[in-house]
Amino acid sequence: MDDSKTLNLNVRKDFPILSKKILEKKDLIYFDTAASAQKPNTVIDETNDFYKNHYSNVSRGVHTLSVESTFRYEDARKKVQKFLNARSENEIIFTKSATEGINLVAQTFYEKFMQKGDEVILSLIEHHSNLIPWFFLRDKYGVVLKFANIQPSGEIDIDHFNSLFTNKTKIVSLTHLSNVFGTELNEKAISICKDKNVPILLDGCQSAAHLKIDVQKLGCDFFVFSGHKTYGPAGIGVLYGTENLLSEMPPYQGGGGMIGDVSLEGASYAELPAKYEAGTPPLVEAHGLGIAIDYMNKIGLDNIIEHENEITKYAFNKLNEIDFIEIHGGDNKRNSIISFNIKNVHSHEVSSFLDVEGIAIRAGHHCCQPLMKHLGVNSTARLSFGVYNSLEEVDKFVIALHKCKEFFNK
Amino acid sequence: MNDLINDLYQEIILDHGREPRNFGECDPHNKSADGHNPLCGDNLKLTFLLNDQNIIEDIKFTGEGCAISLASASLMTEKLKGKKIEVAEEIFKDFTNLVSGSDEDLKVLNEEDSLYALKGVGGFPMRVKCATMAWHAFNQALKD
Repeated sequence: MDDSKTLNLNVRKDFPILSKKILEKKDLIYFDTAASAQKPNTVIDETNDFYKNHYSNVSRGVHTLSVESTFRYEDARKKVQKFLNARSENEIIFTKSATEGINLVAQTFYEKFMQKGDEVILSLIEHHSNLIPWFFLRDKYGVVLKFANIQPSGEIDIDHFNSLFTNKTKIVSLTHLSNVFGTELNEKAISICKDKNVPILLDGCQSAAHLKIDVQKLGCDFFVFSGHKTYGPAGIGVLYGTENLLSEMPPYQGGGGMIGDVSLEGASYAELPAKYEAGTPPLVEAHGLGIAIDYMNKIGLDNIIEHENEITKYAFNKLNEIDFIEIHGGDNKRNSIISFNIKNVHSHEVSSFLDVEGIAIRAGHHCCQPLMKHLGVNSTARLSFGVYNSLEEVDKFVIALHKCKEFFNK
Repeated sequence: MNDLINDLYQEIILDHGREPRNFGECDPHNKSADGHNPLCGDNLKLTFLLNDQNIIEDIKFTGEGCAISLASASLMTEKLKGKKIEVAEEIFKDFTNLVSGSDEDLKVLNEEDSLYALKGVGGFPMRVKCATMAWHAFNQALKD
């Protein structure tokens, strides 16, 4: 094993949870970053510090603590804007989750731009969070949903995708990086949308910390991601939208903070981004996300990506050599995620077995039941990597897999 | 090998997981219910025939799932076949306590019982649902 990278040696100590012993004796090997990433000390300490020394509500009072809280909240928005390379802070809406971002777009985009019989294009590999919000439009308003097929490689079938467009297609919503296959969306899908002048939403939950995101270069109209998968706190999500679209769409929820002026006869609404942020926002979590972005920037996103690509490739090659392992999605390039099964062993068994070895992986349908049905499996086991993982951990994992196979096929 | 894993996957569990007994559909049947674990996608269909003395004459299941859920369903059908409903309900309560690590005293199950092999699930809280899926389907079928 050639583990010449120094990156993993330097960052493991930044994550206090990684010194936890599983079942009191096993070193933790955390291969479930795609479900949620672990948090570095800076995020934990800074969120504590916010509560201890700066906390109040945002954008409401005029006293010192309100100013300090508001400054941190808005500073986080600036950091997110730079992280995504959005044109303006007005294009960054804080939500409670990526899921809320997709629901927000589905509801308000429908209200402004769609009617019964209009069409939305999705794909077979979408996470339930990029399916159900659109199912709501189908069930409530008679919107028609179309689903792009996938190729054996796990990529969207571009020709089929292209064939789904009609003059009733109003919006497209696709995952930027598959949470099952780890494959990146073919850029052609976005350029097709551009050519046809149909807005596209990218679900960036898996890509935000594992690919370099430039929403202007990508050319997407909406982009969502969650804080907790990018080394930040849970309870904070981001919706990026172009100022044009966000200005035209109506508010999502009504409440404090999103108003211009209110009388008993009616109300006017706040300008962007406040228009979409009704109620007290997850302000400490937003600050935590900003700190997580600082953390990634300090290491360098290029370094993180290179490091993860190296581990992913290494793990893929190791798994590919094992005859009892079935890897899903062919041998195309993956980013930080590999789904597999041990032949004749349910993923639950694999996950429980690895758990007592200190290894955390995900088992189940990964919130992608239509895709599981397409693959002809009930569930898969999934490895996913983060900045703190190492090649050595992959070696330990492979040894444990052999023990697991032996145990269940004895 | 780790004790926890050996407790969870006793030989009888692996055996019933690989080759579930009473796998299929009762014909005829007058009770049925679906079991489903939405978190992982495992599912089963339970059918049984309750006669006029309230005795479970025949009971079978089909479905897909992990070794724990299949073995639990298989052992359940073996245990419940020929039992009166009142007894079956007592077993259901005992089994639920057994696998959820509850301290409550068991009334009808004891260590000699094959169902006792599932006690190890208590060491894996996230797997309790796998072990109880078939039983909840049984309970549901009684209510319907």
